[in-house]
Amino acid sequence: MFQNCIRCTVCVENCPVFAVNPLFPGPKQAGPDAQRFRLDGEATVDNWVKYCSQCRRCQNACPYGVNCADIILRAQMKHEELKLLTRRMFARVHALGRVASFLAPLVNFFSRQRWVLRLLERAGVSTAIPFPPYQFRTLELGWRNISAFLGRREKKVALFYGCFLNFNRPDLGRKIRNLLLYLGYEVVLPPQTCCGLPALGNYDEELARRYAKKNISLLTPYVDAGYDVVYTCTSCGLTLTHDYPGLLNMEGGRKIAENTYYIYDYLLNTLDRDFLASLWGPLDMKVAYHIPCHLKALGIGYPLREILLQIPSLKSFVRDENCCGLSGSYGFKKENEKTSQTIGKLAAETLQNTGAQVIISDCGACRMQLGHLTGLPALDPIEIILSSLLTAGNRLSFYHLLTGAASYRAK
Amino acid sequence: MEEIYDVVVIGGGMAGLGAAIRLAKEGCHVAVVSRGDPILCLSTGCIDVLASGENPLNGIANLPPQHPYHLVSAEFIKEALAYFLNEIALGGLPYVGSPEENRHVLTPLGVGKTTCLVPETMAASTAEKESRIHVISFAGLKDFYPSYIMARIPATDLSVYEAGPVSTMFLATQFETDEFLERFLNWLKGTDITADRIAIPAVLGWMRALEIKRMIEEETKRPVFEIPTLPPSVAGIRLHRTLKRRALDLGIQFYLGKPIETVEMAGHLVEAVTLESMGRPTRVNGNAFILATGSFVSGGLLSQREGVTEGVFRLPVFYPPDRATWFGENFFPPEHPIEDAGVLVDEEFRPRAVEIDNLFVAGSILAYARVLRYGCGHGMAIVTGQAAASSCLKYLKVAAQGDTCSRTV
Repeated sequence: MFQNCIRCTVCVENCPVFAVNPLFPGPKQAGPDAQRFRLDGEATVDNWVKYCSQCRRCQNACPYGVNCADIILRAQMKHEELKLLTRRMFARVHALGRVASFLAPLVNFFSRQRWVLRLLERAGVSTAIPFPPYQFRTLELGWRNISAFLGRREKKVALFYGCFLNFNRPDLGRKIRNLLLYLGYEVVLPPQTCCGLPALGNYDEELARRYAKKNISLLTPYVDAGYDVVYTCTSCGLTLTHDYPGLLNMEGGRKIAENTYYIYDYLLNTLDRDFLASLWGPLDMKVAYHIPCHLKALGIGYPLREILLQIPSLKSFVRDENCCGLSGSYGFKKENEKTSQTIGKLAAETLQNTGAQVIISDCGACRMQLGHLTGLPALDPIEIILSSLLTAGNRLSFYHLLTGAASYRAK
Repeated sequence: MEEIYDVVVIGGGMAGLGAAIRLAKEGCHVAVVSRGDPILCLSTGCIDVLASGENPLNGIANLPPQHPYHLVSAEFIKEALAYFLNEIALGGLPYVGSPEENRHVLTPLGVGKTTCLVPETMAASTAEKESRIHVISFAGLKDFYPSYIMARIPATDLSVYEAGPVSTMFLATQFETDEFLERFLNWLKGTDITADRIAIPAVLGWMRALEIKRMIEEETKRPVFEIPTLPPSVAGIRLHRTLKRRALDLGIQFYLGKPIETVEMAGHLVEAVTLESMGRPTRVNGNAFILATGSFVSGGLLSQREGVTEGVFRLPVFYPPDRATWFGENFFPPEHPIEDAGVLVDEEFRPRAVEIDNLFVAGSILAYARVLRYGCGHGMAIVTGQAAASSCLKYLKVAAQGDTCSRTV
């Protein structure tokens, strides 16, 4: 759809990479402009496509529906020289996560050793921000179908938790599961694999298709059985709902996209507004809420914002003008380190200017980067939500989860 | 249950954001739906109210009777612009100027642009032929050629700072870092400046431009001003971001990037709009709607073989019927009758010739606005945006018997 481009430059104004790296000519030139000279079936020759971090802000900002980021991604995937070892590795973060969490104590120990970091640097991995520790007790090792034991409930959720919660922060995954149970949903953690975004972001279309195909075949039976697929990671969500039926054009992708929800959007849309508002206890704090680029790209608004507005005494400052710069594995590559860090500093400054004591963001990667750059605690929204629930006197004991206690209060 | 907003504003530009902010401050729960970023961020960041004459307010009285400015009183125009000045200052980007006085801001072409309200970083701008200006430029900066200025203002001095291959946006990012700023100020110290004022392209950072301008003034003991640049325009981006940030701080919700696929009506009322998606379309419900999607460039109006149409509600659009008469002979002066195209509204800013009770229209989508011809872009958008917001508020109060819009901000 590059034909729709009128060269207005709005995309360039939204490009975080263009603003910090003079080597990148911006999404207009790398996208629709250069596309006019690219031929189907031929390798991409313009080297600067590799600077694009696929934050998709350009695409979201375009008033004419030009999919600049998709155009650049297709060009990246056709670039022969860009298939380096580090990219092959980062495309497989799911497999890496499997191994790393199995060997968690060892991996966590070594990933903090100076000499290991030096070796990684030499191999092209950036160590500017610390690696997230891996957990041995992953989400997928736990109890996948707690609801089977509870009897059927009216609203059924199949949770797509994604690699980060699974391997690095299973505690957050359990909290989200508990919240859903407490609110009266049936929750299962269906078998699943990587959404495929890391593969796309590292130019491996083949691998992304394999992941997509697998997820579609694993999730479709749940959709057929009346489950709503609910995701917690906005980047996974974007891949499931946007790329499966769109860029990858997968068979069965549309069905998944139609039945897949972002968790906070799902809560707002399925619960009574007054009931939801009655749940929260006061939190006397100021939080800066960084909007992840991929939440923006979902086009569902900022649903968590509506919940934050319901929490008494909580002062939240929403900031959506910056990318955090990490963009998944982009910032973990040595060649992108400077770009990623400079973008991140701008975002960090914006958040610090609000005077908030705490940062929240829907995306785990954004939190890693911004928590590191600001030195402020960077929390997952569920942590704020649960503490507000608890201050209101809600109790999340096993019994309460088992019975979906909150749903009784609503009646 | 899906959220039902008090007001859904379609279009996130000057008119839309202004209307949304005013409504949110009245306690309304507002959502802004915008297909892409507005043309606002490509602008110079200056607010044109009316470019002819020295006093815009007087000039407005002489505009043709159909012009949207005539839908409101001179008092309202003053109040709306004062409201804007207050909000933008609260957002941390103070503007200066009065609707009763035009000013001339120096452009990269060396000529003055007639405008009205300008960011404080451009307050000292002058385009007088006799003025003595010292222009500071950056080596290799795209789309900024000081020789244009020097050709038109003969006494201009020039110094060029070497900052590597650069774009305006890259420089703005650089200015946010202390090391770059320090190096730049040190270089400035060693530069011999004898002119009365210092002019720098608008690249002095994203968030702290005013602070940096004052630092340079301190260093050089002379007034400093920014010159707005071609897109990517840092001054335009600052204006857009500040308004948006202000809107976010007032609890306004944003749905960005997706076009509206369908409109749901119930009798004479718009109930919801749904946004296009690869999967399930997103529904945005509202009790009232404001349409501020702009004119042709912003995609609010579409020129098709069958004629000119409005993109969201398919409202009736006025336009000169004979295509042959749409354009004047030359681009300048911009005497192009097609600029009259737009939606006709009544004095409450409701579209004429259709019966929709809860829809209000504002901004450059209005018929007879002739934004290029009269140089009234942002000003007209601010004024009509706020006027539509007032009408909308009146409607909501009647419709809900004063029960709505009770959020405390």
